[in-house]
Amino acid sequence: MSRLLHVAARLPAILASLALFILMVMTFCDVILRSVFNAPIEVAADMTRLLMAIMVFSVLPVVSAQGGHISVDLLDGFFKRAHLTRWRNAFTDLFCGVILIWPAMRVFVLAERSRSYGDVMEYLRLPLHYVGWFIAAVTAITAAVLIVRGLGHLFAPKLMSSLNA
Amino acid sequence: MLEGLLGFAAVLVLVMLRVPIAFAMGFVGMVGFMIETSFRASISMTARLIIDTSQDYGLSVVPLFILMGLFVNKAGISRELYAASNAFLGHFRGGLAMATIVACGGFAAISGSSLATAATMSKVAMPEMRRFGYSDRLSTASIAAGGTLGILIPPSVILVIYGLLTETSIGKLFVAGIIPGFIGILLYLAAVRFIVWRDPEAGPAGTRTSSSERLSALKDVWAVLLLFFLVIGGLYGLFDVPPLNLSFSPTEAAGMGAMGAFLIALARRRLSLAATFDALRETAMTAASLFAVLIGAWIFSNFVNIAGLPNALSNLVTAYDLPPWVVMGMILLIYIALGCVFESLSMLLLTVPIFFPLVTGLGYDPIWFGIIVVVVTEISLITPPVGLNVFVLRAVVGDVPTATIFRGVTPFWMVDILRLLLLLLLPGLVLLLPSQM
Repeated sequence: MSRLLHVAARLPAILASLALFILMVMTFCDVILRSVFNAPIEVAADMTRLLMAIMVFSVLPVVSAQGGHISVDLLDGFFKRAHLTRWRNAFTDLFCGVILIWPAMRVFVLAERSRSYGDVMEYLRLPLHYVGWFIAAVTAITAAVLIVRGLGHLFAPKLMSSLNA
Repeated sequence: MLEGLLGFAAVLVLVMLRVPIAFAMGFVGMVGFMIETSFRASISMTARLIIDTSQDYGLSVVPLFILMGLFVNKAGISRELYAASNAFLGHFRGGLAMATIVACGGFAAISGSSLATAATMSKVAMPEMRRFGYSDRLSTASIAAGGTLGILIPPSVILVIYGLLTETSIGKLFVAGIIPGFIGILLYLAAVRFIVWRDPEAGPAGTRTSSSERLSALKDVWAVLLLFFLVIGGLYGLFDVPPLNLSFSPTEAAGMGAMGAFLIALARRRLSLAATFDALRETAMTAASLFAVLIGAWIFSNFVNIAGLPNALSNLVTAYDLPPWVVMGMILLIYIALGCVFESLSMLLLTVPIFFPLVTGLGYDPIWFGIIVVVVTEISLITPPVGLNVFVLRAVVGDVPTATIFRGVTPFWMVDILRLLLLLLLPGLVLLLPSQM
């Protein structure tokens, strides 16, 4: 299980890293081409948007799976002393996962709507609903990951603590 | 007004249950918005924000600046920055602690995070100060305090988030942080001098460095200093003269900075393929969690606005005929109180949507307020009981009790308050540089 997670965690990270690297090199080239040769990369702004979406959303399930979201650990000691940590973790993960379901569904609906309008990116001419589909799918995966994590805390606490360690 | 306050309380409860701050704010914002409008409108607003935020051109500064800091870090520049400032300051009494402050300032010029600055510098500076018999109190405190400069001296992740939340120019915010950052360094240096004047044993003088050694120490850091000059200068418009005609948007400045840092690290042969991948992956993960938090904060702030909380607050101010400086004083007290328990980013996200409209309504400059908020946040990073920088240091150093660090930090904390008063009384210190842009 943990091996499988490790392998699964690699792929999104590689995709995100690649997107970020391209973003960096492209921004650099755009500035140089624009100022030295007066020939900016026309699709740069569209590409930036696309690469950002890929970068952020491909690692979002990984961040969630690893419990990497920014949170306040002020009462950690209290929960530990009261032996409630497991229940609290189960609650927070299930809670976060469940509240993501509706936005994920609506993102899909919005993507479908933009498909019916035939919206495309201004310079890149890429249909916008591809991006929408991608975001909807990843948001749904993130919700699923969080719910699985929450259930894990409830039914397989040993496995969860070995994963977190 | 009541809905807004209840919402705020609900976020606090959820956050205390360790619900990630993005989800806590997003959920409360969603439910609150739903009560004010309808289920459909609320979910649509949320979905729109998720789609738009991830494809926001302006947001690309976030990962690019983080990446720049990580690349420079991988190039081992923190060690060299410390060596260089040590070469010039080490022979004074308390010199190693002063060198720590200056090196923190230099590192802050590339890194946008206070925690990263403190963590990095403690690995480099702590062993040196121990070797020369510095008291644990002075050495840990100088790193914890110097580390706070990370979020004020540009680039700064906190300032980027503030700029995005309030639609204030990120370039101007960065430039506005320069003078207060310098004042911070100078006052911290004065605090070190004060400590060793009171207790000469705390920081004995190190060995004097010859001028040729000084020169060679400088050689190791010039590239990074040049990179900072290029990035911030480009943002400021320094090179916008013929024949260069080079001026950067924040995204472009960040892209140039990241690429420059990448090339510097490559040239020093400190960057393997694995290390590059590491930096990219770490950046993407950090950026993703920051984006989640931003989306949550936006949902929450949409709710707070539709519930009329900022309006109600400003009505309250008019009703009681409060002078602006009293309101500002109250806001700052709230910040310092919140800072005692909250981590800096959470505090910023929770408070800015509520206070920003009030403060600008009173006629305060949005850029100035941004810098003030960051300075207060810096103070909160070294204020007990939850001074995050102190905990970072405690974790890295290991054998110094938290109480000792907090005691050592007190003089630094006091000069921080002094700096805050200075910036409150003389807004020109903040606004001089950005007004020239």
